Amino acid sequence: MIRRGLGPGLARALADPYYWGRFLWSLEYGLLASLLVIALALPLAYALRYRFPGRALLVALLGVPFVMPTIVVAAGFLALVGPRGLLGVDLSGTVFVLVWASVFYNLGMAARILHGLLARTGEGLEAAARTLGATPFRAFRRVTLPLLWPGILAAGGLTFVYTFASFGVPLLLGGYRYATLEVEVYRLLAYQLDFAGASALVLWQAAVLALVSAGYLWAGGRIAGGLQPGEPRALAPGAARWLSALLWMGFFLVTAPLWALLLESLRGPEGFGLGNYLRLLSGGDGVPLGQALANTLRFSLGALLLAAPVGLAYALAAARGSRLADLAGLVPLFVSPVSLGVGYLLAYPRLRASALVLVLAYATLAYPLFARSVVPALRGLAPELLEAAATLGAGPFRRLLRVELPLVRPALLSGAALALASAIGEFGATMLLVRPEWTTLTIAIYQRLGRPGIANYGEAMAMSVLLAALSGLLFAAFAKGAELG
Amino acid sequence: MWKKLLAVGLLALGLSLAQAEELRVLTHSSFSLSKTLIQRFEQETGIRLRFIKGGDAGETLNKAILTKDAPIADVLYGVDNTFLSRALKAGIFEPYPSKEVRNLRSETILDPTLHAIPVDFGYVALNYDKAYFKTHPLPQTFADLAKPEFARLLVVENPATSSPGLAFLIATVDAFGEDGYLQFWARLRDGGVKVTKGWSAAYFSAFTPYGGDRPMVVSYTTSPAAEVYFSEGKYRVPPTDNLLFPKSAFFQVEFVGILKGTRHRKAAERFIDWMLSKEVQEDIPLHMWVYPARRDARLPEVFKFAEIPTRPARVAADRIARNRERWIREWTEVVIRGRAPEEVRK
Repeated sequence: MIRRGLGPGLARALADPYYWGRFLWSLEYGLLASLLVIALALPLAYALRYRFPGRALLVALLGVPFVMPTIVVAAGFLALVGPRGLLGVDLSGTVFVLVWASVFYNLGMAARILHGLLARTGEGLEAAARTLGATPFRAFRRVTLPLLWPGILAAGGLTFVYTFASFGVPLLLGGYRYATLEVEVYRLLAYQLDFAGASALVLWQAAVLALVSAGYLWAGGRIAGGLQPGEPRALAPGAARWLSALLWMGFFLVTAPLWALLLESLRGPEGFGLGNYLRLLSGGDGVPLGQALANTLRFSLGALLLAAPVGLAYALAAARGSRLADLAGLVPLFVSPVSLGVGYLLAYPRLRASALVLVLAYATLAYPLFARSVVPALRGLAPELLEAAATLGAGPFRRLLRVELPLVRPALLSGAALALASAIGEFGATMLLVRPEWTTLTIAIYQRLGRPGIANYGEAMAMSVLLAALSGLLFAAFAKGAELG
Repeated sequence: MWKKLLAVGLLALGLSLAQAEELRVLTHSSFSLSKTLIQRFEQETGIRLRFIKGGDAGETLNKAILTKDAPIADVLYGVDNTFLSRALKAGIFEPYPSKEVRNLRSETILDPTLHAIPVDFGYVALNYDKAYFKTHPLPQTFADLAKPEFARLLVVENPATSSPGLAFLIATVDAFGEDGYLQFWARLRDGGVKVTKGWSAAYFSAFTPYGGDRPMVVSYTTSPAAEVYFSEGKYRVPPTDNLLFPKSAFFQVEFVGILKGTRHRKAAERFIDWMLSKEVQEDIPLHMWVYPARRDARLPEVFKFAEIPTRPARVAADRIARNRERWIREWTEVVIRGRAPEEVRK
């Protein structure tokens, strides 16, 4: 792919003002979303320092959007503000929807990072500044903000990476005007068969993502360790209720597309009810639900079988201090799914007929998630335990199998759930690599969204709800693992 | 015991393989035929047909080209004369000189090597919503269409993905010339023309009779007849009509071909002969709303509402072959990417 892209393709792409336009828009979109996410995450992180009704549940739910498949979120936005949407206003093809989608995805993540950091810096320092005569604003600006900077950079950087390279939402809701580079790569390949142009854009995009990821790593290095939120502080009961109401309202506002999805899935040509779901079961026009579900599970479980050992190997190496393994684990962060698809198409044309190609692609995208969940747990193991096992005559393999792995079992569970969630929701790489007989849930939803008629629309909504529920279940498994750990 | 089980298992497997030879037919999303006809074919031949919808015509062909080393189907139906040379150049078809070809209209046989065999033809043309234009003026010439007051009423298909979209683009090249067609499109763009990926999105989502906001659409001269037929008695005359200017309609032929590398060559041949049989050819008009390529196929009654344009655009196949990619590229630059025509034509 690098060879294809570096040739005349890259020169042509760099000389073309249209691609600069696409690039600038992707950049703009990423920056806009990062700023907005940080602006919302800061007060949210502050608010989370207090005790209020429903706080524990809210904190737990903050992570849910992260596992929601992009096609589900895109369908959700169509359900809420699409041409047939619940609100009756068509906002598809506007910047507003795209930025909202990014907030939906990244707000929880950003708030968690900032909240963890806030809790660590503690109120002690700020209170000390106040007793020394600083105004609250001054105390914030001179004491808390400097401590928060790495967190702001890390959360902003991650938001940027995810937004800049986003695919599903801009493909379905961005029209031609707000296509990101990632969407453009897909269109170049699927509509125009332009391999050179697509490869060039892939390289261009990867360069930007690598740069930002490096920045994120640097910032992340400075906040590493101890993102353990402390005990929440008490508030006057009245204030706590207000805060709770405000935050929960915000939560429902941000996640409104998911609720709209649920409602719209119940609206079919037959009226309100389970008609869409029943039609999915009885076949209908498109790829039947059973087949799509079986494919999704087959490929995702296959990917997990690959991703778990590979991820574990990286995690072990990283936990034992290998910087290289740590970096290698991050590579997929700046290789986007569509790029990965292009790469597989070019590098392994012979694999086009084997479903292995999807399994490999899913595993490539999933193993870093697995590794990242396991590393902290491995690092947290007391070295004495391993030494004790060694003195009792256990070899390294036996130590791994009998001591280390059982001790980090919750983290393994978390990692597996996260990896699986990423695989069942995979869309970008699948769009390029899929064959008709491999149609997954995500592709089946996309196909139905592209067909006319209320029946197809309703079926797409119902299928999205099922996929969302599956993702939600996996997230619950993840959270359970994280809690045990 | 185990050996016995294994033998039975193998036998069952062998039987099931022998019983249902499956033929995978890749089509565009508008493909449709009578279910009873398909069932009869399956019963008579023992060939099970699996239709795979690959999206819009252009997208479907691209899929076939991208997977030619490991074909996703045995037969491809739906390549049209605008995309024909792309398919032939990519070498995705095996030739098949079916004996039925002699029954087909000679003007539809555009590939004499018979890699691509004509099945049907039609005319891509502008349609309008009569209800809307009862109270509003219609454009009087083809060039009028680009005026702002009309451009914002029109929805077209993207020629990169859709064959009617490409057909209409080629018609504009014929009507306004190499020097004028991009100007025409630039004015349409500035006037707010809507672009969709394919025909279904344009017709069933953006066209006013279906709840959209565009009372003019690029479709087929047969679409008004289809409206009457599908209204099941609601309409005696079509709610839509053709808007025909000189050179605004395009003669489109759709082809079928056997994909190179198929392991079911014989079954594919039988399928193609069947597609060209009188029975299927007479079924095609009411399902896909195009004219049968076979000379002796009778047209259904409702086709009296369809129109054969007197002055369609005429562009030679080799001219399309030589210029298609450039036209699409220039169109994309101007309409999608907002560049000025002069900049693009340098």
